[in-house]
Amino acid sequence: MQTNKGKGERKMQEKKYSIKTDFSMLAILIIPISVAVNFVGGQLASILKLPMYLDTIGTIFAGMLCGPWVGAVAGGLTNVVTGIANPVNFAFIPVNILAGLVTGFLARKKMFNVWWKWIISMILMAVVAVVSSAPIVVLVYGGVTGSGTSLITAAAMAAGANIWAAFFGTEGIFQLLDRVISFIICRLVIQVIPPRTLVKFGCGMNYIKEKDKK
Amino acid sequence: MENYIEKIQIRKSNKLAGLYPSTKALIVLMYAVCTFIVNTIEVTDIGLPLFLIPQFLVILILCKASGVLGRCIKALNTVAVVALIILLVQTFLVPGGDLIWRFGILRIYERGLRTAVSLSFLIMNIAGIFVWLFQTTENKEISRALEDSGMNYKAAYVFTSTLQMIEILGRNSKTIMNAQKARGVETEGNLIVRAKAFFPSLVPLILGAVISSEERVLTLEARGFTMQGPKTHLFELKKSGWEGKAAAASVLITVLLLAGRIMLWLL
Repeated sequence: MQTNKGKGERKMQEKKYSIKTDFSMLAILIIPISVAVNFVGGQLASILKLPMYLDTIGTIFAGMLCGPWVGAVAGGLTNVVTGIANPVNFAFIPVNILAGLVTGFLARKKMFNVWWKWIISMILMAVVAVVSSAPIVVLVYGGVTGSGTSLITAAAMAAGANIWAAFFGTEGIFQLLDRVISFIICRLVIQVIPPRTLVKFGCGMNYIKEKDKK
Repeated sequence: MENYIEKIQIRKSNKLAGLYPSTKALIVLMYAVCTFIVNTIEVTDIGLPLFLIPQFLVILILCKASGVLGRCIKALNTVAVVALIILLVQTFLVPGGDLIWRFGILRIYERGLRTAVSLSFLIMNIAGIFVWLFQTTENKEISRALEDSGMNYKAAYVFTSTLQMIEILGRNSKTIMNAQKARGVETEGNLIVRAKAFFPSLVPLILGAVISSEERVLTLEARGFTMQGPKTHLFELKKSGWEGKAAAASVLITVLLLAGRIMLWLL
């Protein structure tokens, strides 16, 4: 608990980040939880027949609480683990890593504190997700991966749309919705985590209200 | 204690399935290289890489020889669905090259057919060899092999813990969902109703897991997890004895295939 205590003491000063302190004991334990949440979120989305993947909630959660590097590990590990059951997922490792990195850097820049910053962050996260997954879907899988949204992409391609345009059009809308729901869930969870627990996380200080800091 | 240690060991009678995980990883890598070489061999007038299809038999033979054919076919089914969708979409939707076949609104073009065959069977082959790897190797073995090959013990712990966590949270999410249903949260209906059910199921799940991880930190610390020094293991990884032969065979086949491919180019 050495590192955690150290963080508590200099909480009021300007925070310095390093990869080593990012991976505190608590952060190491958050990674498995994030991966499992990604997994369960995706399962739940398909049980409820929602047209989104919703399988990056854990990655976003890890990024928001513990910073970019923990988020990236959680994201990468998710696709490694889901790849064990379905190796098609291995190709999407970079997409999930990038999702964790971007969320983490946004969290460090305190981009999740005010409502108008939320909107910017969500759009940015959706754009990154679409732009990073587009080359993989188009070049590795030829535009179609067999998921719900890829049927719409296929329909657009059949109607004569360019493969890239078809992908960006359908994927863009669903990714944005996906990020909005994922973000709201993470925010709801973080809001109810008591401050005494929040301070132990790398970026946790950013979510503690001013009156609680005293 | 003696009994417990005996119980957690993994004993495999099959020599192929019992290969050391790093040897299996080498086989996977070599097989992937072979697949890409075979993909460049184009036959028929329009240049289809048709040899990828018989190559897939190698995976089935490998699974059969390892004694896990049944489980492998189950896992391969999900991959086959993706490959089939890719095959159909690419065949019928990608224009370019000569028109080969038409029936009503369905047309097949040369380029579409070529990418369709190449892409779908590349995916089948590469995903197939990974399926063999993971169906013959237990997660415990993978994490132990990772640690033996110099990976940090914390990283190996994260890997094992992740697999356990998925099981635990999966169970918890069912409990929470049933509890919320009992309280009157609707899980059926139109899209908005279903989307609204997503929140009360997931938020308590994440929150509970985060709070309990605080206690797990204390538990691990109390067991000396962060102690510096050599670690002991209860689970021992055994070699099956065929490691050398298997590695040599896979490398040899790849080299021969590569040599054959270069010969074809030169002739």
